[in-house]
Formats: sequence, C-alpha cells, structure tokens
Amino acid sequence: MASVKLTNVKKVYDNKVVAVHDFNLDIADKEFIVFVGPSGCGKSTTLRMIAGLEDISGGTVEIDGVVVNDLQPRDRDIAMVFQNYALYPHMTVYDNIAFSLRLRKMPEDEIYKRVTNAAEILGITDYLLRKPRALSGGQRQRVAIGRAMVRNAKVFLMDEPLSNLDAKLRNQMRAEIILLRKRLDTTFIYVTHDQTEAMTLGDRIVIMKDGYIMQVGTPTEVFERPANLFVAEFIGAPKMNTFKAELVKENGKYFVKAFGAKLPADGENGSLLAEKGVGSREVILGARPEHITLADGPAENAIETNLIVNEMMGSEVHLHVRTKDGTDLIVRVPTIQLSKEQRANLYSGATLYITFEDKVMYFFDPESQKNILFG
Amino acid sequence: MADLKKLSEKTPENELKKHIGLKASRTIGNTLIYILLIIMTVIWLTPFVCIVLQSFRCESTYIVGYVIPQQWGLDNYKALFQTDFPIWYRNTLITALCVSVLQTVIVLCMSYTLSRFRFKLRKPLMKFMLVLGLFPGMLTMIILYRVLKDLGLTQANAVPGLILVYIASSGMGYYISKGFFDTLPKSLDEAARIDGATRAQVLTKIILPLAKPIVIYTILTAFMGPFGDFVFARYISMNTSKGMNVAVGLWSWLTPDQVQYKYTMFCAGGVLVAIPVTILFLCLQKYYVEGVTGGAVKG
Repeated sequence: MASVKLTNVKKVYDNKVVAVHDFNLDIADKEFIVFVGPSGCGKSTTLRMIAGLEDISGGTVEIDGVVVNDLQPRDRDIAMVFQNYALYPHMTVYDNIAFSLRLRKMPEDEIYKRVTNAAEILGITDYLLRKPRALSGGQRQRVAIGRAMVRNAKVFLMDEPLSNLDAKLRNQMRAEIILLRKRLDTTFIYVTHDQTEAMTLGDRIVIMKDGYIMQVGTPTEVFERPANLFVAEFIGAPKMNTFKAELVKENGKYFVKAFGAKLPADGENGSLLAEKGVGSREVILGARPEHITLADGPAENAIETNLIVNEMMGSEVHLHVRTKDGTDLIVRVPTIQLSKEQRANLYSGATLYITFEDKVMYFFDPESQKNILFG
Repeated sequence: MADLKKLSEKTPENELKKHIGLKASRTIGNTLIYILLIIMTVIWLTPFVCIVLQSFRCESTYIVGYVIPQQWGLDNYKALFQTDFPIWYRNTLITALCVSVLQTVIVLCMSYTLSRFRFKLRKPLMKFMLVLGLFPGMLTMIILYRVLKDLGLTQANAVPGLILVYIASSGMGYYISKGFFDTLPKSLDEAARIDGATRAQVLTKIILPLAKPIVIYTILTAFMGPFGDFVFARYISMNTSKGMNVAVGLWSWLTPDQVQYKYTMFCAGGVLVAIPVTILFLCLQKYYVEGVTGGAVKG
C-alpha cells in the first residue's frame, strides 16, 4: 500500500531515442491505474522505470514519498507480474512462490502459511509440487500472480499479464484480477495494449502515444469526453468513426453538414458549443458505431450510404458502409432492434440511410486534433 | 513404360515388393556404415589397447616386437611409486583442480556479465578479446617465463606459476557460456531481482541451475586443459622434477638413455593418467554433449 508519484519522468535510450517524455502522474494509495496505448508508446518502459529495471533518464519516481530513482528493484518493495510469466523453470510451483520469502529469510512455517494461502485463493493448490512446464498458460499466470501476492508489496505492477492467454481465458482472468484487487487492496499499476482490459480494470486510465500522455481519466471520462482524436479512436471497439464535416451556425442554432446531409446539433452539445462561442468552422466529427442509427429513408438529416459488409456478431450486427464520397463508416446495431424485413435488406450493395443525434457527436479541431468541447 | 506403369500401381504385391526392396537397401546401407564404424574404432583404439597391454608386461621394460605380454603383472605400477611419479601426479591434480574451479568461476561471471549487463565498452571488449584469442598462447611464453621467474614461480614452484598462467586468460573463453546465457529469458533475471535477489543471487540461484550443462562443460574443459598440457608445463618446470606435471615427467622417461628401463612404466603411468579423465567423462558426457550443442540452438 503506497502512493506513487512520477514527476517529469523521462527515458532516453543510448541511441538518443526518447521513449518517454515528461511523464507526470500522481497515483493514489490503493488505486488501480492502467497504462494503455499502442506498442511502442512507452507504457512498459514507464512501468519498468517504476520497477527499477530501467534507468530513469530524468525526473523522479517516488514510492510512498521516497525518491527511488537510485534504489535497486529489490529495495523498492514492489511486486511484478510479467507477460511471459517468468517462472523459474527449475523450481516447483511452491518454490517459485516461496523464492522471494526465502530470500528475505522468513521462517519456513510462515512461508508455508503464505504460499498455501495464496495457492488456495488462486486455485493452484493441486499443482504446488509441479514444475512450471507441466502447467497450462492460465495456471502459469496464476503462479506468477501468486509469486507477487505473497510478498505483500507496496505496489503491484503488471506488464501485459493476459496477453499470452487465449481470449476465453483472458476474460476469466480479467474477472479474477478484479477480485484479486479487492482482496489485496493495494496499489496496482497495470500495463496493457487492450482497451477493453483498461476500461474494465482501471480506476483511472493513462492513455499514451509516442511517449506522451494523451489523457488521464476514469473509464467513463475517457470514453465520454476524449481529450483528443487519438483517445477517441483508441477507446471503444469498433473504433469511433471520424470524418471531416462542417459545423454551421445558423440563427443561433448549430448544424453539422456531412456527406450532403444536414444534422442538427442543437441539444446538449449545441448549448456547450454556444457557451464556448464556437462559430461556423471545419471540424473532424466523431460518432461511435453504436450511436449511429438506421433512418427509415431519405431525409434531410440522413446520410445515404451503401452497405459493403454485414458482420453478424450474434447479439449485434456490424455494418460496414460507404458514403457517396467513398468514406468508410461502421454502424453497430443490436440485432434485437432489427425487424425481419430490415434484416433481409442487409445485403451488400443495399442503400442504407444513417443518422445520429447531437448528444453523441464529438467535435475535434482538424489542426490540433483536440476535442473542441472538452480538450 | 508399361512395366513402370504396372509397378506404380498400388496393388498389394507391388506394395510388398516395394517394402522388401526398401528394407533390403536399408539393411545394406546400415551394414556398410557399421563396417566403416568398426574399422574406425579399431584404428582409434589400437594405441590405447597396446599401451594398456604393455603396462602389464613384466618380462622386459623396453620396446618389444609383440603386443601381448608373455608375463603379466603389476610390477610396472609398483615401480612407478618408487619414482617421482606420485609428485607429478599430485602436481597435475592440484593444478587441474585449482584451475577448473577458478577458471569456471571467472568464465561464468564473465559470460553472465557480457550477456546481461550493458556498459559502454562491452562490444569493443568482446571484439578485442576475440582478436586477442586468435593469437596462439605460445607467443606469450618467453615473457611469461621471465615474469614467473622474477616472481619465483618456476622450476620447483611451477605449480602455482602454472595455475596463474592457465587462469590468467580464462575470461576470454566466454563464448559458449555467454551464448547459452543469451538464450535464457532476461525476464527471469528481472523477476528474481524484483523478488529480492542480488545480481550474485540471480546468477547462483536462477541462471546456473538452468545452465547446468554449460557449467559442467566449463568445468570439464577447464580441467582438461592443464591435465594434459605439456608445453607450458615443460617450459616452466625447466627440468626440475619436483615441479613437473605428469605429461612432462612421463616424457622425460622417453629420452634415449632412459627409455630402455622405463618404457613399460611409461605405459603404466599413461594408464593411470587416463583413469580419472575417463571416469569424469563417462559420468558427465550427457551434460557435455548438451553443453556443447546447447549454446547454439536451445531456447
């Protein structure tokens, strides 16, 4: 249990490549923070700097108010779970979990208590005497988590712990990590490239790109109020549709002109735009696939499109449509909302009219790519 | 053509014929290979067998025109212990054991360092050692002798001198074990360091147990070098019997004036030298093979 504070943390590699630029973040005690971003964004590097596995080129890292820049990993009182598990192949599961406790010269009966307790929580009691190679991927990851658990470390670091598991197991382990977090009640820093993991696990999410923080916020915040185009497109699956559009102010009312349609923007977002004093201008408009609805037919506020691909996902249908000027959009419709007749009409080449409302529109500046309302 | 077509049809008879044909050709091939191997083995083993047989010969101590002894006995072995042979043997064993321990420690530490640590001169150092290793060690002989003489480590004191010479350049033999260490995932080191291990503990508790074949290979090669060395040992001991190792000592019996009295003893000494090495190899050959081939491909 500890707070972690990163101040102007920087990582420059020997070949002058800057992996992390001025990274500033306050992580509260017992908080679950997720670093998320595409590969090469510096999220793992940042985590490894907190762990002490990577030298810090600039700035300070504090754990519980103590600057740990020059401390060895073993003196930082942190536990870490690796993507490839990093179990010691020549030791049994028991010895793997007990390794850190033995290094601390803990009495054997206390070690026994802690190891068996952790094993019980993780459901690996039956495998304690096996070697790691005799375990499946999921079991190995449990052992790795167990190894980190018994330490009662101040901070719990996880570097893409679920990436090596298959999709089904990943969902299961994700739920278990949520439970584990409740049980351990300590500070977690979790690195992933998967936005679903980030959204479901994190109290707060740090979205990174090219070594810069793009946005820090709760899952709801980053989803509903993305600070910029990158965050908007990164969070949410399928990703947000973004396209050039014209924001028009007519008689105090806002409209969006896109693909020949004129969509009213005079609701919540309209009043926010008015508050900010935004005039007519070019914008990049964002609309999430699930917020787009199918219109009944041609209308002023409906965009005419052609259906390219129809992906039936079971509970929902993903419609890949193309507008007249060749922009591809994705529309996500719950299957239950489609009538039999509508479903029959979802063939390639069919003409579909789509529309969306004011409150689900996102406006980005084409130059700075910042969110005009919340950036 | 018609015959070929007939043969290529998949009738039971054809399949059987083909099967018999394949079997016959494989048997012939195997037989030829075995004959070749047997011939090679005989050529290989003949000198050893001759030496062993000579060592048990009692009727004459000189070279004779036959192989099988007429009178068998352990006279030669007993006579060995009336000479300086035990001293040579002790010298050799002490040298080889010390070198194998020290050299193994140095090589493994060196390999681990070069495999895991990143420091400025790492690459230049590796290249430098590679180039340095291309020069034959013999080139250093004269200057080494001067240095050791000044230190008083020649002649009767040749053993510590020899140990020094053998381990001095041992760090350069890091290639194979570094190659093996490189194949062990770095995250193991990192996990151990986070678990609270020092670098030394990472090496002894995680890396070395995983690199057992390489450790054994390193010990064996470190042992074998001084155990069979002749040139340096001869040079540094300089005709002082107390400072000789087995190879040099036994060789001194082959001078024209000695050989007629001591040829069979020479053979007995040779057999005694071979025994510990043979036992060592028989016990550890499994690891040795793994070690030599392991560095290259094992993941």
